[in-house]
Amino acid sequence: MADPFDRDDPALSRELDAWLRGDHSRRSVLRQMLIAGGTAGLGGTLGATLGARVAEAAVELASPDTPLGRVQAAAVKASTTGPTDGSAYRAVQAAKNFKGVTLGMTYEAGLQALEPRNFSGPLWQQLTGMNYNVVELSHPDQYAKPIAEHIAQSGAYDILDIEPDWIPSLADGGVIAPIDDYVAKHMNKADLEDYHPLFKFLPTYKGKRWGFFDDGDQWALYYRTDVFGDSKLQAAYKAKYKRDLRVPTTWDEYVETAQFITDQMAPKVYGAVHFPKAGSPGNQFAFLQQFRSNGGTFFDDKMRAQLASDAGVTTLNQMKAAYKASVPGNNDFDAVAAWVAWLQGKAAMLYSWPPTGRMSENYSQRDKAINFIPHSSVAGKVGYAVMPGGNGEMASGYVKALASDSANAEAAYLFMQWVTSPPVSLVRVMLPYTLRDPYRMSHYNSPDYRALWPAAKDYLSTLCEAANSGVVDIVMPGSQDYSLSLDQMCTAVWAGADPHAALTKAANEWNATTDKIGVDAQRTAYEQFKKLPGCYADHTIAKMGLAAHASA
Amino acid sequence: MTHPAKAVPLHPGLPGAARGGTLALWAERRIGWLLVTPAVALIVALSIYPLLYSLWVSFVNYDFLVPGHAFVGLRNFAQIIADPIARSALVTTAVLCVLDVGIEFGLGLALALAMERPFRGRGLITSILIIPLFISPVIVGQFFALMLQRPFGPTDYLLGLVLGHPVTIDWLSGFPWNFAALVAADVWQWTPFMFVILLAGLSAIPPEPYEAAQIDGVNPWQGFRYVVWPQLTPMILLAITFRLLDAVKLFDVIFMMTGGGPGTSTYTASFYLYEMGFQHFHLSEATAGSWIFLLLTAVIVGFLVRRLLRAEAV
Repeated sequence: MADPFDRDDPALSRELDAWLRGDHSRRSVLRQMLIAGGTAGLGGTLGATLGARVAEAAVELASPDTPLGRVQAAAVKASTTGPTDGSAYRAVQAAKNFKGVTLGMTYEAGLQALEPRNFSGPLWQQLTGMNYNVVELSHPDQYAKPIAEHIAQSGAYDILDIEPDWIPSLADGGVIAPIDDYVAKHMNKADLEDYHPLFKFLPTYKGKRWGFFDDGDQWALYYRTDVFGDSKLQAAYKAKYKRDLRVPTTWDEYVETAQFITDQMAPKVYGAVHFPKAGSPGNQFAFLQQFRSNGGTFFDDKMRAQLASDAGVTTLNQMKAAYKASVPGNNDFDAVAAWVAWLQGKAAMLYSWPPTGRMSENYSQRDKAINFIPHSSVAGKVGYAVMPGGNGEMASGYVKALASDSANAEAAYLFMQWVTSPPVSLVRVMLPYTLRDPYRMSHYNSPDYRALWPAAKDYLSTLCEAANSGVVDIVMPGSQDYSLSLDQMCTAVWAGADPHAALTKAANEWNATTDKIGVDAQRTAYEQFKKLPGCYADHTIAKMGLAAHASA
Repeated sequence: MTHPAKAVPLHPGLPGAARGGTLALWAERRIGWLLVTPAVALIVALSIYPLLYSLWVSFVNYDFLVPGHAFVGLRNFAQIIADPIARSALVTTAVLCVLDVGIEFGLGLALALAMERPFRGRGLITSILIIPLFISPVIVGQFFALMLQRPFGPTDYLLGLVLGHPVTIDWLSGFPWNFAALVAADVWQWTPFMFVILLAGLSAIPPEPYEAAQIDGVNPWQGFRYVVWPQLTPMILLAITFRLLDAVKLFDVIFMMTGGGPGTSTYTASFYLYEMGFQHFHLSEATAGSWIFLLLTAVIVGFLVRRLLRAEAV
């Protein structure tokens, strides 16, 4: 069977080179790719297979004269012609030995899954002859389904998109496999060094690497430059507080500023908007970052939960006060609802995931897949800052992990290496619709990414700095249980429960979880966690002297 | 002269005839068993075995976070009984069941009485009324969440127009409004079920007793109370039993509208067991909880079924 993306195919080679030069239309290259895919399919035995291959063969490529088109061209070139020591090229060459293998890969349902359907999946298929099956799961099911399939030993999945904090549970439970041997065999180690240090360390546990980090979900503060630059507002603030209005740097200042803006500008603009709806998820991330900024620790030496502390009460009271100063209905908002309010210009501040920056400039909304998000009315009026308190949550993120029950482990690994390699991952974090966010230094420094909108360079620099001082989720076994307790605690407090009582209840639930898993086992895991950069505010990448900075 | 009857082989020339006859006889005697065997095998494989397996799971450690399957006796049951969230979920389930089924019964009965007599457009209105029954509960939950969510949902705005002042109710996260919202969603979807069953029951009541009562001078209320109600009772019990069986499993609208929050205040038993079992994989505790829940439900449903049988016997 012919290699569907055979560089020796003269016609396709000419077309591809022309597209790389920018001579040909995207459509003509696509057509050629489809023909190649169809030819490969004809070599098969079933007409249905042909149909499926052709149907899956459509790689969506942007015009080569756009930033996205340029990085796509670079990714194709890196995968097909090298540099030959690059991880992308190596992965493709080795993967050709697995032609015909089908990889099952889990992705979050919806926008995230569009990326492998429209770009990396069909391109990988064209490059290697391997097939792919994208399994869309809701976010909680991305944890639950792989476990269920592992218990059933179905071998349904080869590659898992998982949160870093699930790694200890899934690794101890035998759901995922370490990849160190494959890294040694196939990867160019320089591509590991290209990760921002925070994300380089995150997929490690018990001295092993359990996947490749693949989504820089670093929270940062997004604020309205027109509101903070309003001279009347500045004067009123100075008259009231005897100091200049500025982007808040502490949580108390954040609350105060949000309330001041609400008092001055509501109902046109409110001070802030958040997303504390139960299970949205937002509560556990917001609490975890603020709790640690306020000096809170999770456990004492006996592994008893330390939530019901002054830091805990302060954090909940600050959060309540901030929500009071927010857009009406704030407590019913999930992340999308908060984005809608923000894009409609109803809030002066929002801390959230990095897509906020791209949506604010209408970059995301250019794709029809994300047109349920309203057109931004704040484009060109958004500034970026690290979180008040200094420590933004690295809230969730994704790691590409290898399913231990995979029948095609090496083939699956090669896809993981290729898709997270610098040139290919740059495309994926620049696709307008995917919600996949920058995490490599080459992403932050990319001239093409920086050309997406006028302030894109500031956006990328801020994300990099936010990761330097960022704190990570509870990367320990039982993190799901601990997080659920926090979510329930928070929503109970928003509904009127006493903060200290709610913290005590959550602490008791944490203790029950710890006891269930085993105090000694959890103590070992906690010691491991405390070595991880970003575990606490005094142990961030910056505090460890490992900070990496985007180029000027 | 007649000859005494003599057993004649069916196919005397064939060597296997006797064996074939025996086989046919064997098959004939056991045809019943043969026919039910596939069904029995299916039931054993898909119901009995999982049931016994779940019983085993509830007495051992079967937790994704804890290795091994050690026998733990009644510990899983004890943990569920001691869990305040489980108790609160049970209370929430009971409260929502009573409210849901009670309101649905009242509205369904009122609608059935209103629609009992033929009038122009009756068929069309009946068809429209039962549309919610055909909608997936997940869609109903999402629909109500969108309608009620502040500030984008129109409910508060429309209420504000009606009342003449701004309305800022947290329908999904504020007590008791979140319960009202959940009840509204369930009532909207399932009242038609009550309506259809009760309408069928009303239609089956012969008119003669009521006409006789009218001749005797009863007023409409007395006619309903002493003539219609007793004859409708079996149908009422049937409708309530069916709805109750469904309502105790309330999950979808909780999942879509409140996610069990705020806190765990809208956890129902099903939602609690789902979270415990399929989000956190504390499978042994979830299974023990399922058995406890099953037994509690069986007691209530058993009571209702006995009442139903008694009513039908009368």
